[in-house]
Amino acid sequence: MAVIQEVARTRGRGEERRKGDGRAAAIFLAPWFAGLILITAFPLVASLYLSFTDYSLLEAPSWIGIENYTRMFEDPRFFQALKVTFTYVLVSVPLQLAAALALAMVLDKGLRGLAFYRSVYYLPSLLGGSVAIAILWRQVFGADGLVNQVLGFFGVEGVGWVSHPDYALGTLMVLNVWTFGAPMIIFLAGLRQVPAMYYEAASIDGAGAWRRFRSITVPLLTPIIFFNLVLQLIGAFQSFTQAFIVSGGTGGPVDSTLFYTLYLYEKGFSSYEMGYASAMAWFLLLVVAGMTVVNFLASKFWVFYDD
Amino acid sequence: MRVTATRTTRRRGVALVALAAAGALTLTACSGDSGALPSDQDGGGDGDVEIRFAWWGSDDRHKTTQQIIDLFEEKNPGITVVPDYTDWDGYWDKLATATAGGDTPDVITQEERYLSDYASRGVIGDMSAVDTAEIPEDILSTGEVDGTLVGIPTGVNAYAMVADPQIFADAGVDMPDDKAWTWDEYVDIAGKISKAAGDGVWGAQDYGFNEAGLNVLARQKGESLYNADGTLGVSKETIAEFFQTSLDLMANEGQPDASRSVEYQNAGPEGSLLGTNAGAMGVWWSNQLGALSDASGHELELLRLPGESQFERTGMYFKPAMYYSISAKTEHPEESAKFVDFLLNDPEVAKLQLTDRGLPANLTVREAILPELAAADQKVADFMAELEPEIVDNPPVPPNGANEIQDIMIRINTEVLFERMTPAEAADAFLKDVGAAIAG
Repeated sequence: MAVIQEVARTRGRGEERRKGDGRAAAIFLAPWFAGLILITAFPLVASLYLSFTDYSLLEAPSWIGIENYTRMFEDPRFFQALKVTFTYVLVSVPLQLAAALALAMVLDKGLRGLAFYRSVYYLPSLLGGSVAIAILWRQVFGADGLVNQVLGFFGVEGVGWVSHPDYALGTLMVLNVWTFGAPMIIFLAGLRQVPAMYYEAASIDGAGAWRRFRSITVPLLTPIIFFNLVLQLIGAFQSFTQAFIVSGGTGGPVDSTLFYTLYLYEKGFSSYEMGYASAMAWFLLLVVAGMTVVNFLASKFWVFYDD
Repeated sequence: MRVTATRTTRRRGVALVALAAAGALTLTACSGDSGALPSDQDGGGDGDVEIRFAWWGSDDRHKTTQQIIDLFEEKNPGITVVPDYTDWDGYWDKLATATAGGDTPDVITQEERYLSDYASRGVIGDMSAVDTAEIPEDILSTGEVDGTLVGIPTGVNAYAMVADPQIFADAGVDMPDDKAWTWDEYVDIAGKISKAAGDGVWGAQDYGFNEAGLNVLARQKGESLYNADGTLGVSKETIAEFFQTSLDLMANEGQPDASRSVEYQNAGPEGSLLGTNAGAMGVWWSNQLGALSDASGHELELLRLPGESQFERTGMYFKPAMYYSISAKTEHPEESAKFVDFLLNDPEVAKLQLTDRGLPANLTVREAILPELAAADQKVADFMAELEPEIVDNPPVPPNGANEIQDIMIRINTEVLFERMTPAEAADAFLKDVGAAIAG
């Protein structure tokens, strides 16, 4: 609003008009502000308060100080949840970005029917977080599912990809990698911005495809890579639906897919320990914020801004 | 890249977006279902009383319940019943959230593993105002917490062995005498069926994901899963024996491998061994016989669990399918009690819902609907009638925190099936984890 008023003032419009603009802006922004305050800010503050209480949901909360936070570090399943989540994030996010970049490079070559392929590859991103796909995934990767039938055709005996504790998390990582559409579109936009003359000049100097990729594409794309990395990291930390559906809400088999958010949900709604769950949410916020800060600090050393 | 913003502002922009996204997503992730509830008031005249009735279930139940509500409103002008329903998975989240928001439904459907949680925290209150004369005392007492009647059983189920005679016949194995068979014989029979029936058909589905089976074994040995005082009453040896049966069944291939067992566990009645004609036996709640029969297309039978004459006493019991409870803070206790009374005792209600909420606990009502039951439900009724004289007693209401046993049981049983824990280790883990859940 302030900006709009400023612009109006510098343009030297009349007093009346300026007021009208402000009011219109306020009206247009009101739903958004209401949403921010009621749906985001209020629960945020409330959960901070609740994280210092013993709160069963069924009774009023009672203040217990930092006990929820100290208890976390004596809870073996809390550490299991951290381990599962970090493994998932650190493995699946780089793989997903690599897949997205590779596909974006192929599509950038000016394929016929580009719009069609772009849409097709984007589809998984729209569907990947959905309940339906998680259920389908459970079927496809079942002990008698499609994947094992194909493997059986080649004489390989498969395992229960989502029901075996050693493989379930890996299968969920594949599901996450598969939803590369959103970062792919952003990469594609980034690739379009790389001036063709750089490549031409490099080619004349005798640079091969790999050399052009390493010395031109990657450096010019680092801000985009960075942007995608930050967003996907945050998203991956909060994965919930896939594990919830695939494991029937338990984080199983044997806690092998006990994502942090899943454990948080279980604590809040099955164990009626909403205070503890709130503390876990704030701990996750600190972890994610910490990762993001580290990311930004590290970015000084590898992100190249061309301006 | 052509960029209009300066380097620093752009980076700050990215940072702000990223941090805001982190904050917003992290903290809203735990808010779950909103407490917003449907409230279609169709009466709403002067002096009208409005009560809300919460239940879980399938579309069929929703339809029938709406008919029941219409009937009640017709007979009781001035009382409007607002329906508030969802499926089982969402029900407890929604109920807890509504309670937290001070918006508890007036009449609440409850389940044994949650009854104590809600009663001890004063959410549901005394129901002695409701007429329960027709409900047997030993069944009614399963709704008492600390001497107060906080839930009235809608109907009863038994945890029993469901068997497919056709698969037995195809395999050339005789159906067991369920009054006499032991747990070892059960393992043996399952193994024989698997061998004779060939690839893709097994003797039995793994039973270790549900604690009800453990309770039956414990009771056969004179123990009980929970004591009346809310502590654990099952011994380490019994738990280890319970898990050992699964391992024996895997060893003689009477049941599928661990991965498949986990998958069948997640597949519900429709996708189960019995439901897909891929197995001869499975342990289920008796009210699921209809769904299992429909899915399999075979005429399935109910049997007693093994071991009923092997140890000190019988272990099978009647479990209330669900309970009706009344909010302790309702503004309309009289109308709520009237509605529950109607649900339990009105013969027309029973004719509408038949055994959908268990075989009716009200004996007069049960008698009245017997001729109307479908074949599978008829079998359930006969089985329960036959079982009745053998039942020694019914288990006490599970203690606070007992709903966590579902997840604990699944976790530990999976460890056992994948042979990451021995039955003895599993027994220790069970006592420790369930002990912690019901202590807190």
